[in-house]
Amino acid sequence: MPDVALPTDERTDLDLIARWKAGEQRAASLLVERHANAVARFVASIGARDDVEEVVQDTFVRAFASLDGFRGESSLRTWLFTIARRLLLDRRRAAKRRGEQVQVQESDAATEYDSLDGVIADETQRRLRGALEKLSPTQREVFVLRVSEGMSYAEIADTVGTTEGAARVHYHNAMRTIKELLDD
Amino acid sequence: MIDCPNGELRDLLPDYLHDRLDASNRASVERHLATCTACQDELALLRDLRGTLHRAPRIDVAAVAAAIPAYRPAARERRVTGWRVAAAIAAIAIGGASITLLRHGERIQQTAQAPIAVPTTQTPTGSPTGMPQQPAQQPPASPREAAAPAAVPVVKSAPAPSGEELAMAAGTIADLSDGELSDLLGELESLDAVPSADVESTESFLAGRHRGRHD
Repeated sequence: MPDVALPTDERTDLDLIARWKAGEQRAASLLVERHANAVARFVASIGARDDVEEVVQDTFVRAFASLDGFRGESSLRTWLFTIARRLLLDRRRAAKRRGEQVQVQESDAATEYDSLDGVIADETQRRLRGALEKLSPTQREVFVLRVSEGMSYAEIADTVGTTEGAARVHYHNAMRTIKELLDD
Repeated sequence: MIDCPNGELRDLLPDYLHDRLDASNRASVERHLATCTACQDELALLRDLRGTLHRAPRIDVAAVAAAIPAYRPAARERRVTGWRVAAAIAAIAIGGASITLLRHGERIQQTAQAPIAVPTTQTPTGSPTGMPQQPAQQPPASPREAAAPAAVPVVKSAPAPSGEELAMAAGTIADLSDGELSDLLGELESLDAVPSADVESTESFLAGRHRGRHD
């Protein structure tokens, strides 16, 4: 398998982290601006609903509070996604303990998405979203990270806590499912 | 929609979409795309799906950035606290060992003060040969002696502690009064850096922040 080129902005992330540690608060804002929308897309795609912004904010607060432990072995974005995913899982568990309905209904998710982003009139968009909602949670997570964020299988494996091989299988199964649903 | 049989190349399509391929792989993908309609269709589908997924809820990025606190190094503080915890654990371990050894020593003293029944066979006081008397536990000199029952039951005593053990037992936590012990335990319990065995729930960590945010 040929190698995939390394992302070019990793060094900048590390530079910004160093500048924030040196007291430059603006560097933190630049990091947030760079990654916040991607984190929001990710948490929305894996089940966050009306608490997307809250989860995103919590993710960054927690990440910055523990940046001393970030060694740059994975990309900052991968690390942020890992934190966001963990926060969302914790919220789901807490909601479950409180007896709330935690399983996101497909129709609810689509409606929420639409309401936040305006009415999506395009039939193709609706079908694509419907197909994505049919994926299993793990397939959807992996597929979103691969297609929406362009992550490598290694980065996906780090984020969702699986192996590269399993991530690859999830991605291809997801793609097959989507194609079948769209062909129907 | 059909799948291209070239799975290795199909696997690169998302990387191609995100421009994450080096020049050589990008050229390979483009050569293949020029002739493979299945991969052209799959790439078009990936583009549409990415567009769909990028319709994310809008968030107030400035508000998120404003919530980030200034950097505050915590490594040194954590290290000092870690030593305090280690010292506390060591104190407890040494204290426990000292108490055990002290009790052990008391038993030895009690044993030593009690009359010890010396297991012995009745030997004449004074040796006719003028040689020193045999110790009581010497092996029997003859099979007949070995078969004879002991005249007095043997009283076993605990083995004597080594010098090192006795040194450890002296002048430690056992010398503290009840009040002092209570104070020490209170102080140990007040240490705030003993790590929890449970994974910290992010709920509890963040609850305070949300409260502050919504106040």
